[in-house]
Amino acid sequence: MQDTRFGDFGGVYAPETLMAPLEELEQAWRTLRADAGFQAEMQSLLQHYAGRPTPLTHAERLSDELGCELWLKREDLLHTGAHKLNNALGQCVLAKRMGKTRILAETGAGQHGVATATACAKLGLECVVYMGEVDVARQKPNVLRMELMGARVEVVRHGQRTLKDAINEAMRAWVSDPQAHYVLGSALGPHPFPSIVADFHEVIGREARAQVLDQAGGLPDLAVACVGGGSNAIGLFRGFLADESVALVGVEAGGEGPETGRHAARFSGGTPGVLHGCYTWLLQDADGQIQHTHSVSAGLDYPAVGPEHADLQARGRARYEYATDDEALQAFAALSEREGILPALESSHAVGWVMRERDVLQGKRVVVNLSGRGDKDLGTIMALRGGSAADGADASEVVA
Amino acid sequence: MSASNRLIEATSALRRDGRRGLSPYITAGDGGLDRTCALLHALERAGATCCELGVPFSDPIADGPVLQAAADRALAAGTTVDGIFATVKRFRDEGGSLPIALMSYCNPLGHRGWPEACAQAAAAGVDALILPDLPVEEGAPVRAAAEAAGLCTIFFAAPTSSDARIQSAVEASQGFLYVVGRTGVTGAGTTFDDGAQGFLQRVAGLAGELPTAVGFGIASAADVTAATQHADIAIVGTALVRHIHAAGPDDAAAVSAAESFVRELVAGTGAPSTS
Ligand SMILES: Cc1ncc(COP(=O)(O)O)c(C=O)c1O
Repeated sequence: MQDTRFGDFGGVYAPETLMAPLEELEQAWRTLRADAGFQAEMQSLLQHYAGRPTPLTHAERLSDELGCELWLKREDLLHTGAHKLNNALGQCVLAKRMGKTRILAETGAGQHGVATATACAKLGLECVVYMGEVDVARQKPNVLRMELMGARVEVVRHGQRTLKDAINEAMRAWVSDPQAHYVLGSALGPHPFPSIVADFHEVIGREARAQVLDQAGGLPDLAVACVGGGSNAIGLFRGFLADESVALVGVEAGGEGPETGRHAARFSGGTPGVLHGCYTWLLQDADGQIQHTHSVSAGLDYPAVGPEHADLQARGRARYEYATDDEALQAFAALSEREGILPALESSHAVGWVMRERDVLQGKRVVVNLSGRGDKDLGTIMALRGGSAADGADASEVVA
Repeated sequence: MSASNRLIEATSALRRDGRRGLSPYITAGDGGLDRTCALLHALERAGATCCELGVPFSDPIADGPVLQAAADRALAAGTTVDGIFATVKRFRDEGGSLPIALMSYCNPLGHRGWPEACAQAAAAGVDALILPDLPVEEGAPVRAAAEAAGLCTIFFAAPTSSDARIQSAVEASQGFLYVVGRTGVTGAGTTFDDGAQGFLQRVAGLAGELPTAVGFGIASAADVTAATQHADIAIVGTALVRHIHAAGPDDAAAVSAAESFVRELVAGTGAPSTS
């Protein structure tokens, strides 16, 4: 295998059974990314099926309130409601061209699971999605969407019962069936996944750069994205990596605050180590055991960060901050009430950081990747807020 | 590698004498480390060639439910890497001479830095490292540190591995080559059908002088006999861990259950009984 690392980070820490499938995948990806037919198929699917390009929206009311110029890259408007479809479609087309018929995936927030179920329905592939029990409960609408599209959802009841455990179980399933293709949902895991996933999300940054030049008349001062494993962030950042004047900021889940130990801010509370196939920043204890994480958003509730981000941080090209649960919830409310956009709780972290840092961002042009929409989070939000006209409403007479 | 490594001595003696061997696996700290130390003595008494001592990890991606649960129990009991090293040291101080391969996911050992981890393991009396999430591609730093400390490194061959991959695993391994008998996590059953035997034969041919140990799904003396048709050593993990756990909370009962089960499995190698 080639170019398996980003600086010191990344690598291929996989069981021997998976090495042949990983080599085969790397080979297929290197061949197909240079293949005009593959590129044309992807381009057509992204445009006519997924709805690319997604718009760049000037959040005018919130900008006025914050004193900065806030632009939102609207991945929430992509088909299925999050950026995840870029990667799921890409990997499923790749897998189909490799002759694969069975697809495995993990999911946290359920968006990657939905995106993979969608791609499999569209392309005629069998789909099994692993999801932790806690996430099944808090992202229930996405479980139903996956099932309606014909995917089988396997509930993972081991460990913390969140994204980390879903990845463990998906990897075990792949070890048991190496003929299947495992569609990893973020820019993490063993090589070549971090590179493949970033490749399929680069379109976010490419579009955002052209759109901000066109609509705002210049480059942004900052490009900001939330970082779970890091796929939406790397997609945005890659568009601006060569523009040194653009500061790149990744926002991790601060949970109840890094000082409480209940968070998923790897760069604030972690150290480098090996998890799920790569060497990167992790939340681990003094004995190298992986620590439990906490975030109000399922998609950021994960103890490791993608290796390309670890390298961008080491090189000083990007910096990594965090927003707490409360800051994300405030951002959710602000975008809902001022802009008429219900953001995913993951994406709300990026906006929450901008809102907290308003003083230093005065007059700055900021592009935030709005990675997904918040429909899936209404249960969580309403449980925290309470009080809706829908509470206790009764339609039984009409129905009967 | 120094010629005094216990594992190399034990596995090359098998070859020299034309015998087959058994390598039982136990999870360190499952039932507490006192029990682990007593179990190591029991495995030695029962006639094991060597053993694999598992370091529990929070996220064991190559393990099935039985070994996941054993790791959870061991971690819940407060098992640490330092505690495991101290247990191996105690076993050696008590006269134990069974070769021990420490089986660990990369992170619990790599976290302390490979040179430190290898030096500490060797000082405690460990003979080899088996790291299920370390392919040969990532092995260089571990191999250098292990060699400096006098530890064997053991890499894997799987049914999906090409001849070229198996060859590089053979070149990077000492003591034995770990052969994954089938695609799957630990614990699911194996049938030693013609396909599996063909694979073991292919590996044995590529391994040449290096002994081979085959694992995954072996649960009975008959399995041991079938597994060692084209391999030097049969590895028994899940079945033994399940057996020990089923014996209940009493250490003496668990240790004697382990000893009699391993004795029965050793008989499957065709070795004369040591009792
Ligand atoms: C809407 C949304 N944004 C962000 C994430 C976090 O993932 P990543 O860091 O890979 O973009 C998720 C993950 O589920 C998500 O659903």
